[in-house]
Amino acid sequence: MGIDVGSSVTKGVLLSDGNIVSTFMLPTGTELSITAEECIEGLLKDRGLTKKDVLYTVSTGYGRTQVKEADKTVTEITCHSRGAKALASGARLIIDIGGQDSKVIRLDEDGMVADFVMNDKCAAGTGRFLEVMAERLGVSLFDFGRMWKTAKRPANISSTCTVFAESEVISLLSAGIALDTIIRGLCDAVAERLLGMIHRVGLVPRVVMTGGVSKNEGVRLSLEKKLALKVTVPEMSQFAGAYGAAIIANESAVQR
Amino acid sequence: MAKTVDTRQSPRKVAGETRRIKIIRTLARKKWVHNVAGLVIKRMEKRGATEYRIAAIRAFADDLRSAYRKEKPCIYTSAFVPNELVYGLGGVPFLPEAASGFAAAFGFARESLSASESLWYPPDLCSFHRAGVGASVIGLAPQPDAVVVSSQLCDGGKRSLYQVSKAFDCPFYILDVPYTESPESLDRLARQIEEVAEGLEREVPGLSGDHMDEAIANSNSARSHYLDLCDLRRYIPSPWRGREALNYVVMFLWSWGSPWLTRFYKALKEHSESIIQQGEYPVKNERFRLAWSNLRPYYTTRLFDYLEDELGASIAFEEFSYMYWEPLDANDPYLSLAKKIMSNPGWGPIERRLEVIGKLVDEFSIDGVVQFAQWGCRQYNGAVSILSDYLRRKGIPFLSLAGDGVDERNSGEAQSLTRLGAFLELIESRDIRSSR
Repeated sequence: MGIDVGSSVTKGVLLSDGNIVSTFMLPTGTELSITAEECIEGLLKDRGLTKKDVLYTVSTGYGRTQVKEADKTVTEITCHSRGAKALASGARLIIDIGGQDSKVIRLDEDGMVADFVMNDKCAAGTGRFLEVMAERLGVSLFDFGRMWKTAKRPANISSTCTVFAESEVISLLSAGIALDTIIRGLCDAVAERLLGMIHRVGLVPRVVMTGGVSKNEGVRLSLEKKLALKVTVPEMSQFAGAYGAAIIANESAVQR
Repeated sequence: MAKTVDTRQSPRKVAGETRRIKIIRTLARKKWVHNVAGLVIKRMEKRGATEYRIAAIRAFADDLRSAYRKEKPCIYTSAFVPNELVYGLGGVPFLPEAASGFAAAFGFARESLSASESLWYPPDLCSFHRAGVGASVIGLAPQPDAVVVSSQLCDGGKRSLYQVSKAFDCPFYILDVPYTESPESLDRLARQIEEVAEGLEREVPGLSGDHMDEAIANSNSARSHYLDLCDLRRYIPSPWRGREALNYVVMFLWSWGSPWLTRFYKALKEHSESIIQQGEYPVKNERFRLAWSNLRPYYTTRLFDYLEDELGASIAFEEFSYMYWEPLDANDPYLSLAKKIMSNPGWGPIERRLEVIGKLVDEFSIDGVVQFAQWGCRQYNGAVSILSDYLRRKGIPFLSLAGDGVDERNSGEAQSLTRLGAFLELIESRDIRSSR
């Protein structure tokens, strides 16, 4: 079993004989250990199982130390790399954009972590940035992709600070800039923020996106344009960290 | 004729002068407080406190007593000024940048930083400089009788300490260190050091060059024991905790020329020998050996518990502790000190620094290099990509760990723990594959 306690969402994946048999997801909230318990319950109940049936648990994510059932904690860097590799064969560059941080992980030819970089200190370029903007604009995050495609060009969002960017967006609206233009500009701003990180570790295909923001089609489109490369978003992209943790748990259980 | 420009600062109230700061700055200047401190140290000694720690405490207690009580002239120096110069003149050095680390460790950094912000210091400058300036103006630091800075390594040291000299209306001297080493540049620097020494003797009552031979002898004696200590640190597992070694970088920066430094390094060497003989290594299950570049967070942090105790990672050696100069020559102290300054691998072409780090990797059996990317540290952070590529070619993993050594508002502990944990997982996966 793999449990990924993220800053916004907690995810769980259950494996049996190496195959995914259950997944579960819920908002993390403020009581991380309780959320982790609920996630485990959600995973097991689905299959009519109890904790005694679980051979090994690995926890990961921001709240990984709060998972009481965990036999081992592994950082989300390693877990996302294992998960993404399993979800997208040939993955070499993983871009994970979560609620409060973003990371870029380069894998070597054997699929092991060769290098990684995480965003520093602030929420710019993370899920939180997009949440704040979406709320301000009264747009659902799920509409970002559709609106990206209707925009003729992106608005120039110069601020990287979430707070200043919010002010900038209001100014653009007041100036009569179309909403879809602004949305595309915001997606570009996130992608732009990631560019430096990507080139720091080295751009190498196949590029895979994981994490909650991977479901934001607009950000994926902006990334593809800036990288001039296709960006793969696996169906279970949000579960990449939990899946990777479950894979490691499976290996540990076998070794035991 | 040069036009005189009015550089006076307007009087202003600074933030950070809290009640406890006022109490501490009053107490720091009281004779009885230093007497009590002396008794406490003696008691610690009698109770068998670790010898090298006692030596370090005594070194600072002595210097701070002399400085606060005005028993000897107090000379502020920037971090890479050779303090054999100050001890050699009979003064005591005080390093505001190093004192910032103490402020962070003892919980006074916020007031010091607030004070610097009152003086318009932008928070994107290095917090070691900001807190050092702040601590000076709120009186946490002893009052300087003069300020001596060198142009290397730090970008911000010169200007921030110039401001301090203005605040206290005391002489300011700068050693303008040439970028490349040659007989001419060394000679030029030696002449500057001599002029600074003469200037200090002239301007600061109580200073005289009569102590120079003693300071040079102290420095050379300490150096000899220090090299023995470095040899011992090559042992696997490491006989000394890296977190402590990073704390005692302050001795390496501050105390050359002091009578206490020989005792400190001799005691530390003997302590390390004893650890090796008894097999009581501080990181019991050492799984990784790291080299650490730049300084560390000096406020309370879980980083080192996590690294050393949970993950079994020793910081086997740190770049700042590398012995980069030859023994000093008492017959030509100024040229010797010039050579010492110019030998610093952090100055001059980047190749010098890379060579040192490469040596450390080989000599200390290093698995990975961590550079603490101190907020605002231009000279170290600017070279990250070159260092990273150099180490990659040597097959050594590298982590640039963003953080702040003094201003904990600028650091996210959870982020740092994740980065360090992931870095060691990366090293471990390489070890597993190479052993197959």
